[in-house]
Amino acid sequence: MRSDLRRLLDAAQNAAREASWLGLRRRSTSASYYMARDRAFDQAISGADDGAMVEVLFNGEFAYAATPDLTPDGIARAAASALACAKAAAGRGVHRFDQSVRPPTRSRYETPRSRKSPVAPDGVFSFLLDACGALKHSDEVIQTTALVEVGRYDYEIVSTNGADIEQSLFYMGTSLQAVARRGDVVQLRTANGPRGLTRQGGWELFDIDALLADAGRVGAEAVELLGAETCPSDRRTLVLTPDQMMLQIHESIGHPLELDRILGDERNYAGSSFVKLADFGSFQYGSKLMNISFDPTIAGELASYGADEIGNLAIKQLLIKDGVLVRGLGSLESQARSGVAGVANQRATSWNRPPMDRMANLNLEPGETSLEAMIASIEKGVLMRTNRSWSIDDYRNKFQFGCEYGTLIENGKLTKTVRDPNYRGISSTFWRNLSAVGNQETFAAFGTPNCGKGEPNQVMFVGHASPVCAFSDVEVFGGGK
Amino acid sequence: MTNDFKPHFEVVSNRVLGELLPGEQAAISYTAERTAFMRFNNGKIRQSGTVEQADVGVKLWKGAKSWMFQLGLSGDRARDDELIAQTLGQARAMMPLLPDDPYQAVPEAAESSDARYAGSLIPESEIPARVLGPTAGLDFTGLYTQGLVCRAAANSAGAQHWFQTETFIVDYSTWLPNGRAVKSSYAGREWSDEEYAARIATTRLSLENLDKQEIALSPGKYRAFITADALNEVVTFFSWNGFGERGLRQGESAYIALREGRETMSPRFGFSQDFSLGVQPAFNDDGELAPERLVIVAGGKIENTIVSSRTAKQYGITANGAEEGEDVRSVSIDGGDLPEANALRALGTGIYVSNFHYLNWSDVQAARITGMTRFACLWVEDGKIVGPIKDLRWDESLYNMLGAKLEAVTKERHLLVESSTYEHRQVGGSYLPGILVDGLSFTL
Repeated sequence: MRSDLRRLLDAAQNAAREASWLGLRRRSTSASYYMARDRAFDQAISGADDGAMVEVLFNGEFAYAATPDLTPDGIARAAASALACAKAAAGRGVHRFDQSVRPPTRSRYETPRSRKSPVAPDGVFSFLLDACGALKHSDEVIQTTALVEVGRYDYEIVSTNGADIEQSLFYMGTSLQAVARRGDVVQLRTANGPRGLTRQGGWELFDIDALLADAGRVGAEAVELLGAETCPSDRRTLVLTPDQMMLQIHESIGHPLELDRILGDERNYAGSSFVKLADFGSFQYGSKLMNISFDPTIAGELASYGADEIGNLAIKQLLIKDGVLVRGLGSLESQARSGVAGVANQRATSWNRPPMDRMANLNLEPGETSLEAMIASIEKGVLMRTNRSWSIDDYRNKFQFGCEYGTLIENGKLTKTVRDPNYRGISSTFWRNLSAVGNQETFAAFGTPNCGKGEPNQVMFVGHASPVCAFSDVEVFGGGK
Repeated sequence: MTNDFKPHFEVVSNRVLGELLPGEQAAISYTAERTAFMRFNNGKIRQSGTVEQADVGVKLWKGAKSWMFQLGLSGDRARDDELIAQTLGQARAMMPLLPDDPYQAVPEAAESSDARYAGSLIPESEIPARVLGPTAGLDFTGLYTQGLVCRAAANSAGAQHWFQTETFIVDYSTWLPNGRAVKSSYAGREWSDEEYAARIATTRLSLENLDKQEIALSPGKYRAFITADALNEVVTFFSWNGFGERGLRQGESAYIALREGRETMSPRFGFSQDFSLGVQPAFNDDGELAPERLVIVAGGKIENTIVSSRTAKQYGITANGAEEGEDVRSVSIDGGDLPEANALRALGTGIYVSNFHYLNWSDVQAARITGMTRFACLWVEDGKIVGPIKDLRWDESLYNMLGAKLEAVTKERHLLVESSTYEHRQVGGSYLPGILVDGLSFTL
């Protein structure tokens, strides 16, 4: 296939000879999605897409043209269109770029998979119906849904200065949900949030026995929540499990550290950041227990890859070390504009959108504390599981999150289940109150396949792994009007 | 690809329908666009380019089996023909393995429509000069988008629908060094340098209100005038856990208490799904037409819900042309009797909310939402602007905001066109008033 892409690159170059650099980024996607609801089959959907973005550099300005027409003529037209855009924009750009932000990287990456051959389709379908049955814990469960999605992304990148990149990412996700009702109380419980169980890998991720056991737990907990008191409203120690930590990391660390936000690109849409360029190297973001890594090298986490989509090789980097901010989530372009150290994170949702600064796998490194020791050390607290709501200001400072399931901690013990648990705070204050970080045994990775950002808008898959963590003195509250 | 997508759609839909075997039925949906994007930061160009794309969605039914596929198309007839034929073959191989679909709803609608709205857009080479020209000296940030957008649907019962429009939108904000900003947009089909320059001039004037000392308010309950722009963020929650019939019956809707009479909204509040706004087609992906106007809430009570054919089949009720996700489209909130010019006087002392940001449910069953203030939100005393507020988090039930605490609704309404560009340029919009709320709960 790369020989085809080389031929297309030649066609593009012939159509845009004035460009000082030219790149071609092809992306093809295929996916299947199956869902059952209330033990009835609900949806079977397959999808496929293929196209390319031609990018040119002219007089310090990049411009692009995206097309699904992968004939030499189609690519040549796209190249001419991109060149015309670059010419129109020349001299008005935010930065005068050169080829140094498009390195001539040669790289191959493929998701490691221990089981490459798919389960027979009827095996998937019967699992979905069985999962609905397991979710139906009692007649108080009024809706059950089970979903399996599986797909792959294939990338090919070539450029006139010698980049040659091929990546194939394979993923699978499972979603399980139960809605229960008793009188006027309605509660929803999922397995690790909507699409939280999405990971890179092969069919080894489709562990039917484990998933059915989880479905049984989800259904039982949905019913259990119907009889629970609402979460108290006060200040106390908050313990978060990894399926909530993923959103906490995502919203209050990931987005504020994106250099394009700090540079102002996102001010009109997703927002900017409370972090300033001058903060890198000295800002105390959180307590000394806090170590945050950008790590696209973890096999199985959702956003692992070999190189980003402008050809920067992906390696693990610490962004926050012992609570101090040391590095930004910024690509080669953002690093050139800001002078701040960054990572390999310029990525695009598909061939039809230009790459920009993104999270990949953004993780909180495990600490030393066992879950038992953590709980035993807390006199008054609440443990919250599984994200159900997220909201944060455009500087990524004042946040409010809600979870599906809470358990009170009283005098060092987990006691009563509470429903509708929420909490709110301010990002840096919250992270400076990080009082305990769980050990490797509490560490788990989840995926967020739907992070929205950018103009034009782009949705992106990212991964977050974390241990269980405790935060002191947090405002918590329950539901109700 | 082409700039005239309709022949492409006809070739694609005829190919699908022509390939059907006895006993098979299908619905075909189609989206296409040719778009120029230019992104700005600090009055300069951050990224620019063009995108052309076309997609087809096919729902296929045979007996009690249902399958759907979505394909990106190349625009090349031979290649797209081959792709469709191959995918149909794969679908046929899979369908016998599928469990039966008990709520399968094969469309019977056979209407046709053809709506085309031509535009007068800027030559692409002139976009930088004509968009940035009037913004000289401003910290101007945002996105300019222009071009052709198409939507179409057909089905084996004979429905054929086509919708295309050429539009532009400058979705922008202008910023002061103190970090405050005014958000606005200029959108339409006929670009006018004069209208755009006037819009930018108004934005410059609005910035003057923000160049004052920022006021940090304590959490508490405040009177608030919520502009149409801010209210547009709340409209999302009419669809998300919203007024779809399936969600109401299966526990996911926020309006179960309203439906069951345990809660009410204000008699002043009502809204409709209203395709007479002309911003999106009334047909759905199956080629079914929704009524031009469907009242959802009137006098604070539910009149109708959004019902897809699938839900109708499941519960033995009547569908109303909804998409399968049962989102509300083209929302039109009823106007009231407060003249917009009197909004500050009616507010008296409180917060003028220009924009909201990042709303989400605090408690779905209580229809309680949290979100932030954003951009040019102002503190007002005795009807006079004092200065910008430091952004606040709010947390309030819609049964309060649009219920007991709803004091007035403006007479004037504003058409806010959809600016979202996830996957494709979206079509749609809302027609909204501003509202005056007494005692909105601000929490952080």
